[in-house]
Amino acid sequence: MSEELRVSPIETRGLAGKRRFAMVVDTRRCIGCMACQVACKAEYDTPLGVNRTWVPYKVAGKYPNVKKHFLPRLCNHCDDPPCVRNCPVEATFKVEDGGFVLQRYERCIGCRSCMAACPYNARFMLPSHRTYTPITNVVDKCTFCFHRVTQNLVPACVQTCIGRARVFGDINDPNSEVSYLVANNPTQVLRPEEGTKPHVFYIGADRNHTEFGRDAYRKIEVMELERAAFKNHFKI
Amino acid sequence: MGEYVWFHDVSWHATYAIYFFVIGILAGLSFLSYGSWRTPALRPLREKAAYGSFGLLIIGGLLLIADLSQPMRFLNILNPAYLHFTSPLAWGAVNIVAFGISSVLYILALQKGDEAKGKLLALVTALLALGLPVYTGYDLTVHQSRPLWNTPIMPVLFVALAIASGSAVGSLIAGANAEAQKVLREYMLWSAGAVAVILVSIMGTTNYGGAASELTFMIMTTGTMGLLFIGVGFLAGSVAPAVMLYAPIGKSQGVLMISALLILIGSAALRYVILMGPQQLQTLY
Repeated sequence: MSEELRVSPIETRGLAGKRRFAMVVDTRRCIGCMACQVACKAEYDTPLGVNRTWVPYKVAGKYPNVKKHFLPRLCNHCDDPPCVRNCPVEATFKVEDGGFVLQRYERCIGCRSCMAACPYNARFMLPSHRTYTPITNVVDKCTFCFHRVTQNLVPACVQTCIGRARVFGDINDPNSEVSYLVANNPTQVLRPEEGTKPHVFYIGADRNHTEFGRDAYRKIEVMELERAAFKNHFKI
Repeated sequence: MGEYVWFHDVSWHATYAIYFFVIGILAGLSFLSYGSWRTPALRPLREKAAYGSFGLLIIGGLLLIADLSQPMRFLNILNPAYLHFTSPLAWGAVNIVAFGISSVLYILALQKGDEAKGKLLALVTALLALGLPVYTGYDLTVHQSRPLWNTPIMPVLFVALAIASGSAVGSLIAGANAEAQKVLREYMLWSAGAVAVILVSIMGTTNYGGAASELTFMIMTTGTMGLLFIGVGFLAGSVAPAVMLYAPIGKSQGVLMISALLILIGSAALRYVILMGPQQLQTLY
């Protein structure tokens, strides 16, 4: 079978004449300063308790020989996104030129089907009250800073990253930095077994980070208490 | 443990489980109403099942709309320009509307006493009713990244649950009608047994499905979730009624009523756990 036949019609990676934006996250360079998270919050007025990008960490080793591993997370702008297939009203859609997976807020009915479909938990429900923005009660997510990229700027998180851990560009362009990094480094993607073909590539990601946390072994009652405390703290 | 857990919210809350429960009963009642045209013993249930089914459709529809965070935009899902047919919810919306229209026409035919139209509309309504548990199961099945949900047998389980819970409600409605109860006993026995067998197969494959599936199995079989799933849903709500109905005592009115109540409680618990259990893991990734 030829390569063309095996590619989903929605995919844009490697498509001649089309741009396909991707992000490379070099975890060896990430120091966990959370500047990306703050820059994203500032860019979008994202309310407390929800995030378009976030930086979970794990502490590996045994005291005193311990090390912190960071794994910045965001929407993976998949080439074959299950959230797009799952949205009943086409509120979630994929931009053919660029591969951005975006959301039409005015059309979203808030059924949360896309949230359930996303293997990366990259989507969240905007709370009913926001400080400066009237968009509420719809599903939101990272847009790869579509509005900035269309003005030849990089996403806010990339702009602010002090260690240059995040690199953004057109992976269909063989001369771009992301193409070079993906071609010349062993890269990982999150949950490749889902077949979503994510476009956030990690360099040096610890496999233990990309799997379910061991906290799943804890008692549900305890987790519920902690979750309630977390929500109460952020008033969500 | 030294790891920072990022709490994500579950996508679908308990309202959705109640909706699954209600829509299962309404589908089951529609099957019974159609069954009354083929099995004379069920004749006393014909109108009651049709009205009950339509009433539950209104309750279920309101629950579904209330669960949206933008309730008034439910009209978007009925807008042909917006409908996206790769989504199970779009099929569900079409199915629910078609079922509603068919139900109204069927009830009108029943009120007029039009036998020919009534029989035909009963068949159409029952076929559309079959689509309701199928689409709700399909709604979960398509989520490839969610353990337990992502199995093609999920719509079959939902159909079996619909027959079990619909027959249970039918049995409660039928009261002392011995002929109807005899038929309903068979329905409840086989559907409760089928639910138990499907649950065993689903949980077996979940436990052997890799890290995420194994963790889901652990979540669903321990603690409060385990009590609801294994205790209330599987043992009390499926195995116990099947055994009681199979035994000679299953013919008595009292045992039939107890079995019907157990099936209803069990099927409600199963819907809750099947919906919420796999999402517990999702919140931790």
